[in-house]
Order: sequence, then C-alpha cells, then structure tokens
Amino acid sequence: MGKTVLVVDDSPTMRQMVAFTLSNAGFTVVEAGNGKEAMGKIGGGTKPDLVVTDLNMPEMDGITLIQEIRKNAALKFTPILMLTTESSDDKKKAGQAAGATGWVVKPFNPEQMLKVIQKVLPG
Amino acid sequence: MSTDLSHFQDAFFEESADHLATMEGGLLNLEQHPDDLDLLNRIFRAAHSIKGNSGMFGFTAVGQFTHKMETLLDRLRNGQLSVTPAIADVLLRSTDCLSSLLEAARGGAAPDPETIAKLEEELASASGAQASPAEPGQGPASVQSGVNQAGGGRHFRIRWTPPSWLFQRGLDPIQMIKELEDLGTLVSRTLDLSGLPAFDVLDSECCYLSWIFDLETTKDKSVVESVFDFVKDEGTLTISESTVSSCEFQVSSSIPKCETSNSKQETSGDEPKPLGEILVETGVVSRETLDHALSQQKRVGEILIEQHAATPQQISQALQKQQESAIHAKKGADTASIRVDTAKIDKLINLVGELVITQSMLSDLSVRFEMSQLAVLLERVAQLERNTREIQERVMGIRMLPIGSAFSRFPRLVRDLSGKSGKKIQLVLSGEETELDKTVIESIGDPLTHLVRNSADHGLEPPDERLANDKPELGTIRLNAFHEGGSICITVEDDGRGLNRDKILAKAIKSGLVSEQEKLTDDQIWPLIFKPGFSTAEKVTDVSGRGVGMDVVKRNIEALGGTVSIKTALGTGTIFTLKLPLTLAIIEGMTVRVGSDTYIVPLLSILESIQPKAEAIKTLVGKGELINVRGTYLPMMRMYEAFSLQPEYTEPTKAILLILETEGERVAVMVDEILGQQQVVIKSMEQNFRKVDGVAGATILGDGTVGFILDVRGLLEIARREIPVAA
Repeated sequence: MGKTVLVVDDSPTMRQMVAFTLSNAGFTVVEAGNGKEAMGKIGGGTKPDLVVTDLNMPEMDGITLIQEIRKNAALKFTPILMLTTESSDDKKKAGQAAGATGWVVKPFNPEQMLKVIQKVLPG
Repeated sequence: MSTDLSHFQDAFFEESADHLATMEGGLLNLEQHPDDLDLLNRIFRAAHSIKGNSGMFGFTAVGQFTHKMETLLDRLRNGQLSVTPAIADVLLRSTDCLSSLLEAARGGAAPDPETIAKLEEELASASGAQASPAEPGQGPASVQSGVNQAGGGRHFRIRWTPPSWLFQRGLDPIQMIKELEDLGTLVSRTLDLSGLPAFDVLDSECCYLSWIFDLETTKDKSVVESVFDFVKDEGTLTISESTVSSCEFQVSSSIPKCETSNSKQETSGDEPKPLGEILVETGVVSRETLDHALSQQKRVGEILIEQHAATPQQISQALQKQQESAIHAKKGADTASIRVDTAKIDKLINLVGELVITQSMLSDLSVRFEMSQLAVLLERVAQLERNTREIQERVMGIRMLPIGSAFSRFPRLVRDLSGKSGKKIQLVLSGEETELDKTVIESIGDPLTHLVRNSADHGLEPPDERLANDKPELGTIRLNAFHEGGSICITVEDDGRGLNRDKILAKAIKSGLVSEQEKLTDDQIWPLIFKPGFSTAEKVTDVSGRGVGMDVVKRNIEALGGTVSIKTALGTGTIFTLKLPLTLAIIEGMTVRVGSDTYIVPLLSILESIQPKAEAIKTLVGKGELINVRGTYLPMMRMYEAFSLQPEYTEPTKAILLILETEGERVAVMVDEILGQQQVVIKSMEQNFRKVDGVAGATILGDGTVGFILDVRGLLEIARREIPVAA
C-alpha cells in the first residue's frame, strides 16, 4: 500500500508494537514520542495518510495534537485514530470533538488494529 | 494476517521499570511539593502507560491494579483530592506492589494476594469512591467480531443522516458504504439531497447528505451497527430489520459496557508469615514482647561460635556459600538487555568502517610488500592500533551507565528508614551522572543499600541525642560518586556518632576475632566491623543488625575488584569509601620482568618506582626488610622470593623497586626490570586454574605467553606474613 502512518505514543513499547504491526501490513511508519514531536515531523515534511495517537503524553497531549493537525489545511481530512484505554465515552467524545476520526481501545491485537485502520483509510 | 507481539515483552518490562522509577521518584517528590501538577501528571502518565501496555500482553493483574492507582492519581490531578502523606504512602506501597506484580508477570514469585487486595481497598477508599469497575476491557468496542447467523439472509433498512462534521473528522461515507458492501449485498442505496442548502450558504466542508440503504446480510444487527461506530453519537441512524420484525431499532449512544472476566487475581503461592507475626496477630503475645524477644535473638553463627561448636572461619565460609548461592539465584532475574544511546552506536559504526579501511590497506600492502615500504607498514599498524583502542573504548562505553540508576532507590529507602526509626534524615545525592560499567552498577546496589541502612541505623543518632550534642536535629546521609584515576569512588557519609573504638574492640574480643593482649591501631580496628558475624548494634532492629552484615558488603565489593575503606571521627560521623574499577574486563597494567617471567602490575596501585641506595635498606628482626623512602620505612618484598623465581638481580641496588599502594598501605616490591605499559584483558585464575595468593588473574601477552597480574593486596598480605608462597 505504501501509505504513511504517523504513530504517536510516549511509551516506546507501545510505539514499537504499533509500528511493527503497521510495517508488517505494508505501511510506512513515522514515529513520534509526543504531540510536539509529531507536529515537528509534520512540519519537517511528513505528510501522513493516517495518524495513530495516544492521548496521555508529555509536552503535547493527544487532544491538542488532534486539534493542531486539523488546523493544517493539508491534513484537514486525514483520518486520525486515537489509542485509548478508556472504554468510557468521555475521552472518545473529547477526542472526537477535537477532530479525531475514531479510536482503537487498548489492549488490541494486530488484527483488530488493522481492521479499524481499514475502516477509516481509503484503500 | 497474524503477527505476534509477545517478543515486545522484554521492552515492556524494561520500560515499566523506568515508569516505576518515575512513579517512585515522583511520589517522593510529591510529598515535598504536593501541589506540583506537572509531577502528578508525570506520575499519572507512567501509571497509565503501564496499564495500557500490560493489557497488550494479557497481564490482567498488573492492568487491574494499575487501574486502581490511576483512578486515585486521576482524582489527585483533577484537584478532586489533594495529596496527603497518607495518600502518598498508599501510592508508594502500591508502587512496590505493582513492581512485584510485574515481577510475577515476568515469571518471578507472585506477591501475596492479601497485600494486593488490601492495597486495592486502600486505593479505592482513598479515591473516595466505591470500587469502580475495572476498565481494561477484553477488546475494543469498535471492532466486534461478526458472528454469522445460521439462519441465512436478513434484511436491514438503514437510514442514516450523518452529522455535518463528518468530513472534518477525516471520515468518508464512501468508506462506510464499502464496509456495508463487505457485509453482504447492498440491494439499494438512496441518496437524499433534501438537506442541501442554497448554494450561497453551502459550506463545502460540511455534510448535508443522507442515505437509505437496504442491506441483505448474514451478519448480526450489532455488526451492521459497528460500521457506524465512529459516527453514531451524533446525526441520526436507524437500522430496522424488515423481514424478522418491522419495528424500528433506534441506536442508542450508549456503548455496551465491557465486562471483565478477570476479576480473580492471577496470583498464587502465599508467602508463609514469620512465626512472630502470627503470634502477634492471634494475640498470643504482644508486639512489644515479640520485639523484645527478637532483640535478644542472636544470629546462629554467633551462637555456634560462642558454644565452640564452630570456628569463626567455618561460619564465615558457610556465610560465604550462602551469599554466593543467593547471588547466583538473583542473577537469573537481572535484565540482560541494555539500552544504548544511538549516538554511541553511530560512532562505533564509523570506527568499524575505519577499521575495515585500515585492514584492507594492510592486506593490500602485504600482497606486494617491499622493504622500502616498511615505514608505510609501521604507520598502518599504528593506525590499526589506534582504531582498535578506540573501538575498545567505545564498546566499553556501551556498557557504561550513569550511576544514578543505582542511587535512585535511596530517596525511598531513606524515607522509609526515617519513618521506621523516628530519626529525621535527609539524603544528599551527588555525582549521579558518573558513568560506570553496567555489571558493576548492578552489583553495587545491595552493598550500598546496606551501607545506607547502616548509616541510618547505627551512624545517625536519635534526634534528642543529636540535640543534646549540639548537632542539628536533621541527620544527613550523603551519597557521592566520582572518578579518581581509572577507578570510581562511591562514598556513603553520615554526620552521626562515628565508630566507637572501645565498643568494636570489646565486641571483637568477645567474639574471638582478636585476643585481649593485641595492641591495635585505629586503622586496624575499623576493618573489624567487616568480619563475619560482627554487629555492635545493641538491639536488633527492623532496619539493620539482622541477616547479612558488613562482611557481605566487603566481600561483594572485593568480588568486583574493589575496596572498602572507613574514615570516622567519634561524634562527627563516618565515611565509607568504595573504590571500584570502571570495568571488570580490562585493566591498565605495567609489565615488569623478574628473571625470564613477565608480570603485570595494575597501574593504579603503582605510586613510583625507584632504584634504592644500599644504605636505604634496613633489616629489622621480626619485621623483615624495610626500605627508607624519603623518611618513611616501607616493608620491602623480593618478588623472586615470594614466587620462587630465578632473578637476574638479587641486589636491590641493581634492581627496581615498585612502590605499590592499596587501601592506604604501601609495600615496595623488587623486580628486575620495567618493560612497559599496556592494557591487558583479565582472565580469571579461579575459573581456569585455581586461586593463587598474590595473583589477581592472568592475561595473554603480545608474544602469546601467559603473564600473571599481581594482586597488590595479596602481596601486602604476603609481605606482612613474610611467608614465601609457591607460585
């Protein structure tokens, strides 16, 4: 597929696992440790086809990152999935209000993650 | 496609260890600065990451416990609760518990389920809420697995008016239509344009459309519903099943609660409680009676020595064996992986590149070598040597970590010790950035812990005693690390009462370590506390004075090729100095010759080398030969005698004397010649042959022969005993 996914999570383990899953599925993965880093990557020329981001992160959290991405004209309609441990609605609502496309609830397995991606990423 | 994420487990455990350290350090800090929101957020994130990651590997017990901690932390950071010492304490204990849960997940011993249950209760009551349902669900609500209906085709009519923000959140109706098509057959799709406004008020980024779909599928209604997971909270969606029932189904925005089937803790193997604890709990004896009884308890070793059932040596050997097996058992749990700064790796790769270039230049030269090119050859060889040495240093550097990781446990330890003993103690850390070998860092944790405990318990006085002696009530323990030459020094310093000469001596005489007639200097008395079975604590406390003693500290440090020394002044404090090699594998050595044999003397222990005048050498009855070095008489030792060699010179005035120092003691060692200086790789004598007094190890020299590395401390012992040993 060759599409680029920006994976944002402050936990290196989680980042590696998501990156591993996505690379295996043929995506090009760009990693960032927090929202600020992610914006840096975008500013540095990365144009992701999909963003997968954690919510609780230092420097810049996921909600702010989503808002920032939506401000970027080129990424206005780019699908953004948030990784969340909350099965409660509050976080999802907050994320959606900020402009998130959907969510993947932790824990997930690779198939589940790819299924959600398929849902939002035009093939 | 199926991919296995389990090989990320090691990374998870390593990361979790970092998070635990963050949490512990953060919580300790939080006690001082309860209003620091940044700190709280950091602690929260650490807990949150552990929770999120643990679920990925199915460590349910870890996830559930962390969730409880997180709930409390969340309330704290939202300002619903404020940090009290009690809350900080519960959280700290929970951090410990979490650490053992992680250990259990890794295959270690499971913690006591009662402890977990009790902590969970405390966490919940601190959160001020009835225990909320555990959250980590079984799977994402958004991806329900489709269950095929056995009953064949079903017909759904779907009316969907998406929210106007549909596009702005990266959603695409085409995607959803595709997904519906994947579920079965879309018999009809009707696009309703009635919502479209007049062109001049139309916002191109808004969605004004709605659809009616007729879907024939074998799937459940919930599966159809899941297509609209990300949009169903707003807009309108009705899914009606026309063939089965005609009643319309209104999608409610509530997501089915994920149930956890894992409420049972995955723990087993209760640790039996100590007898005393059970007796106290069942009311047979009171806590005071137990403490009193325990305080009279002697260590088995001491009892056996007093009854002359065993000699101190036998006990010390047995203790050593015990310690070794303990170390052995613990090794298995040590992390085997190491995280390395990528910059270090990059530099290394560059160097390897250079090495390869040098090597190819050399092999090129060797093919068509003529004598006239000798200078070029020598230059290339020198370059090769430079490359090798630099690579060696860099590779060693990979194993170097800042000592801070070994220090990080102490703020917590000191806090707990302070709480238990009722003493006010502040801990001052410095030199945390000092780097040393990973294996050394891992091995000094326990000895350091013991020294810190010792300082807190024996060194520092109770507050009233300090005040009575015109000292500040707050006692200070300082931990410092710094490089000195090729070694690293770690000092544990307290401003307590200092070592008591008379007490130590009395105890040593009582336990048969020294005889009453012996006259000992201070410097000979202090090391007595490192003898096995030695403890001057009048009362065995919870903090120290039981189990392993200072002897183990000394032995552990010596096993690392280091030394422990003591400086103390009665009433003002004690400093323990640990001197450790930076690395265990390579030392800088001076090669010396005795007869036809080559020996290596660790460069660090050489003070100077001299060729003495005849009148500087004196022989004292009972003390052997002494050499006068600028007014100080040092014991002189002829190496050929100690190792039974054939020397070139037997006259000290023709030979060379190396003045060696270790632990503040000096000795002059006579050799034939100094050959040079080089780095040598230490090969263990014990592993390959057997222990030889005065020899620390062996190495392979440039010409392929074996050279022995001198053990300066061992040499001093030999010089003191004046007994020649057989090499």
